[in-house]
Amino acid sequence: MHSERAPLALKIAAFAGLAFLHLPIVLIFVYAFTTEDRSYQWPPPGLTLKWFGVTWNRPDVWASLGLSLKVASVSTVIAIVLGTLCAAAVSRAKFFGRESISLLVILPIALPGIITGISLRSAFNLGDIPFSTLTIVLGHATFCIVVVYNNAVARFRRLSGSLVEASADLGANSFQTFRHVILPNISTALLAGGMLAFALSFDEVIVTTFTAGQQQTLPIWMLEELVRPRQRPVTNVVAMVVVLVTFLPILGAYYLTRGGTETAGVGK
Amino acid sequence: MSYAVEFDEVSRSFGAVRAVDNVSIAIEEGTFFAMLGPSGSGKTTCLRLISGFERPNAGHVRIFGENSENLPPNRRPVNTVFQDYALFPHLNVRDNVAYGLMVQGVDKRSRHGRADEMLSLVKLGDYGDRKPAQLSGGQRQRVALARALVNKPRVLLLDEPLGALDLKLREAMQDELKALQKQLGITFVFVTHDQGEALSMADRVAVFNDGRIVQAGSPEDIYQRPRTRFVADFVGSANVLSPALSQSAGSAKAWHSLRPESMELAKAESGRLAGTVASIRYIGPVKRVTVDLGGDQLTVAVPAERTVPEPGTRVGLNWSDASIHRMEDE
Repeated sequence: MHSERAPLALKIAAFAGLAFLHLPIVLIFVYAFTTEDRSYQWPPPGLTLKWFGVTWNRPDVWASLGLSLKVASVSTVIAIVLGTLCAAAVSRAKFFGRESISLLVILPIALPGIITGISLRSAFNLGDIPFSTLTIVLGHATFCIVVVYNNAVARFRRLSGSLVEASADLGANSFQTFRHVILPNISTALLAGGMLAFALSFDEVIVTTFTAGQQQTLPIWMLEELVRPRQRPVTNVVAMVVVLVTFLPILGAYYLTRGGTETAGVGK
Repeated sequence: MSYAVEFDEVSRSFGAVRAVDNVSIAIEEGTFFAMLGPSGSGKTTCLRLISGFERPNAGHVRIFGENSENLPPNRRPVNTVFQDYALFPHLNVRDNVAYGLMVQGVDKRSRHGRADEMLSLVKLGDYGDRKPAQLSGGQRQRVALARALVNKPRVLLLDEPLGALDLKLREAMQDELKALQKQLGITFVFVTHDQGEALSMADRVAVFNDGRIVQAGSPEDIYQRPRTRFVADFVGSANVLSPALSQSAGSAKAWHSLRPESMELAKAESGRLAGTVASIRYIGPVKRVTVDLGGDQLTVAVPAERTVPEPGTRVGLNWSDASIHRMEDE
């Protein structure tokens, strides 16, 4: 079956699909080198590298990039801690309402971002919490937790329960069991979940618009830039950087979690 | 005689299910003790009460005379060979075996030395650098054994450790386990649903049913003198005689058990009971002749070299008074 060659029509369809998905991104890359800075002309009237220099010297780019990195890192750390604990509770213990809790944890990612955004904004207002980096982080953590949770819970399910018992049986206390048995078996899942969470947070717009005050994360900054027809290719340069920054972790997560379908610790 | 493990009217329920129901046992130090029973009979829960993964709802579990209620699993002088072996997949065989020493803070050089000693004890001296996934089922089982023994437990618990092995390997491991227990002199508590395994390896056997111990004794006791119909049925192919049949054979009106090898065939008119031969099966050194008594069927074991009547022939059945055994009503 695998030795048969794909028919021509299928090949064309596949390439068309790929082109549809990826040509717009290539376009963004091309416009980063255009000499025209007010409108997007095709084909670009000329090619130049000067926008890289211009971007480098724009303090607003650096400020929003810094903020985005900070927000993404902090929400990822929060997500790893809370998501792992949540996954451990749901997959290890049996208690009333376990399935509902599992659903409630996943809900934020299914919920439209705009709902999450509005509800967080009114909650912050009610609590008299001023908008700051912290409020952006909290907003991002809601969906970052889900990503880590989903990865961790799958791995916990594959981790045979008797491994934990074997560890205790051999004299390990809870901390030693976590350090020497659980952590080594879930670490790649946590790393993958963390990378995905980081990438999600880094390009988030909707929730951020509702939970940020005067601050701009990188995606918000880009949105603002598009409205103003000034030094437009700077946005494209930044977009290129964003693609690279988010693509690498996702690629890493993909390689870390592929394969390994056997259940850890079941020795038959 | 001191006891390694004592159960004092222990019960353990899961919701409405009484998994262990008022069980009392005393396991002498240095014995090979088998807990035998069908699945769901409470034998594994009893094992987990000793290892500390379950706590009794009522009664006491004493380990070497001490109440164990407040001792967590990691502070009990017992170690377990798990049914699925539960080897740590991220550690190599040597580190798996050395795990118990590692968590005690033994330095790397001496714990690896001890681990290698244990591995040669279970004849896996050259396998220290492999990962568990690279081993066969029988080898994993030995690693699990070495890992459980490295802490020098005073009681070793084995939860159906041979269940996943094929027949030939299982028989070889039975001999090895028995020899190992003799060599180490520690108490082995072994859970199994295989009566052959229990009877051939253990010094003492407890037969479980529905969370209770139906009978405890030496393998010979259990085999020759089953206390109830359940034991007779579960432990082996003993003939069970109903009260009516027993009476017509000249015994008291009660349930009786009779081993196939204790009976012999006779002429129809000179037997205690008479019937027709229904079938003959050849099983190695014996022929098992099933005799139909008009509803009841009894099996007689006849040495294979002897000739037996064809199916359909009327035969009589005889036995000595000493070989028929009266059971309790249940």
